[in-house]
Amino acid sequence: MRNKLRERAVISGVGCSRFGNLLETPEIKGMSIQELTASAVKEALDDAGLTGQDVDAVFAGNAMVHSSQVPGTYTQLSKWTGTQFKSGVHFEAQCSTTNVGAALAAMSIAAGVYDTVLVYGLETTRTKVKGYSPYEREPISNQQTWLWTDMAVNQAYGVPQGYDIFSTYNGLVALGYCRKHGLSIEDFDRGMFELCRTRRLHGAMNRKANIQEKLEDRAAREGFSDPYAYWQSDTHNPFVSWPSRLLSLVTTADGASAMVITRADLAKGGKSQPVEFKGFGVSYSDLPWYGEDPTYWEFDKRAVDSAFDMAGIKAGDIDYLHTHDCSHISGICTAETIGYLEAGKGLAAAREGRLRFDGDRPMSTHGGRHAFGHAWGASAGTDTYEAVLQMRGQAGPRQIAKVPDICVIHTHGYAMIGTVIVLGSL
Amino acid sequence: MPNVAEQPNAIASYYEGLGKGVFRAITCKACGKYTFPPTGCCEHCGSWDVEQTDLSGEATLLFATHNISPACHPRFEKIAPYVYGHMRLNEGPIVQAIVLGVEPAPHDLKRLFEKGPVRVKAETLQMEDLPVLAFRIRS
Repeated sequence: MRNKLRERAVISGVGCSRFGNLLETPEIKGMSIQELTASAVKEALDDAGLTGQDVDAVFAGNAMVHSSQVPGTYTQLSKWTGTQFKSGVHFEAQCSTTNVGAALAAMSIAAGVYDTVLVYGLETTRTKVKGYSPYEREPISNQQTWLWTDMAVNQAYGVPQGYDIFSTYNGLVALGYCRKHGLSIEDFDRGMFELCRTRRLHGAMNRKANIQEKLEDRAAREGFSDPYAYWQSDTHNPFVSWPSRLLSLVTTADGASAMVITRADLAKGGKSQPVEFKGFGVSYSDLPWYGEDPTYWEFDKRAVDSAFDMAGIKAGDIDYLHTHDCSHISGICTAETIGYLEAGKGLAAAREGRLRFDGDRPMSTHGGRHAFGHAWGASAGTDTYEAVLQMRGQAGPRQIAKVPDICVIHTHGYAMIGTVIVLGSL
Repeated sequence: MPNVAEQPNAIASYYEGLGKGVFRAITCKACGKYTFPPTGCCEHCGSWDVEQTDLSGEATLLFATHNISPACHPRFEKIAPYVYGHMRLNEGPIVQAIVLGVEPAPHDLKRLFEKGPVRVKAETLQMEDLPVLAFRIRS
């Protein structure tokens, strides 16, 4: 495998909707899924200084068709995005969808097929189509969301025999981490509290985040003067998979994201500062996702190594990192596998504030899957959106002081596609 | 033992075996490793030259936690929350499955964690519509 992009590709435009609930969240309340998606696409095209007719191809991502009900997404969204008559495909890589789309776009550009590609992802994990209505939506129950989501997990033997995402992704990984690194359950809990506090701090500084309330403020609202007492409250933050608690998990959301990928030479002098798509790595695995050691996931390591090789970088070059954090402890394990955090010290780094936007190891400054929220096929694009804002110095109050030159984004496409992309300043 | 390629449906065969307390897998004639639960292809080397075999059901429980209630899948609503574990089979494969013999409560799970790996034995848990794999902690 040559593992090289023969021509340089850049991200020249990014867009992202507010994440939330189409029935409740102010900025998106009452929108159709078509309008939600179009809002992200319009932002990305405007950012690139293009219209839908300027792109050569459209890669449209959506994972949970049960709630969105827009298969054939490329055509169903074409008149909402101005992309009629373009080449296109509907694809999915679950929660890695939009970044896998970016990799496909970069490959097609490097191969000399297309000059400019629009990638977008849309998902509704809080609401679904109501009956046969073309515009009304209704809430999805928690169980229904996971039943549909888990259709991406081993349907022969895993899900039918009691597979449980919270156990496999959280509790078992947490126990593996504690045993491997000699961490007490009490220290683990405190570290997870601090990690959640950091993510919610970032969410509170992001107008597009699902949750924009700091953990301390939430605790006070619930009558707790000590936020750690709130964290340990079984009523407010129960164990979903001991020793992992509810607030260490993903929060579901409706949302959309988009990006424009183009030839580097075409982006020069464009409307917005382009960011180079330097490399990517993808590796997948069926259950079980790990061997005896729940903290080491072979497919992630392979994806990381492949991406770093293509981009020509080392762990020490990374200025900003996002790891998939549906499960906060899994995200820490991945950061340690990558080498951005010292093995066994990730939670200590969280407790010391090093993972904050103003720390020396900034991570997930948009709020991550917990605070920014998670709309499966759209979320990877929001991670890229945040990295691009940081690299342009446009992240507002959560801007990293030393503008990052190299950003790495890791996502897990359920279940599982380890996906890593490397972005660099031009 | 029939060749897996002659099995019309490996998944059905697995659950039919489970219903009788038999834990079916495949072994690879090329590399000798196990694939469990069974497919028609070796998960390690990609060879299609595999044959069906039965496992002992003996295993070591490495870690155990619990799920949520209501369960993500309606099949398990009546038994949720349940204990879910990470096991190494004597034959080598890593398996995750429901664990019997410990309560899904933090105190009990913490005591089990502090004890370290323990021996477990596979058994069939008969749900309303399907036999499923479970492991019971040996006393």
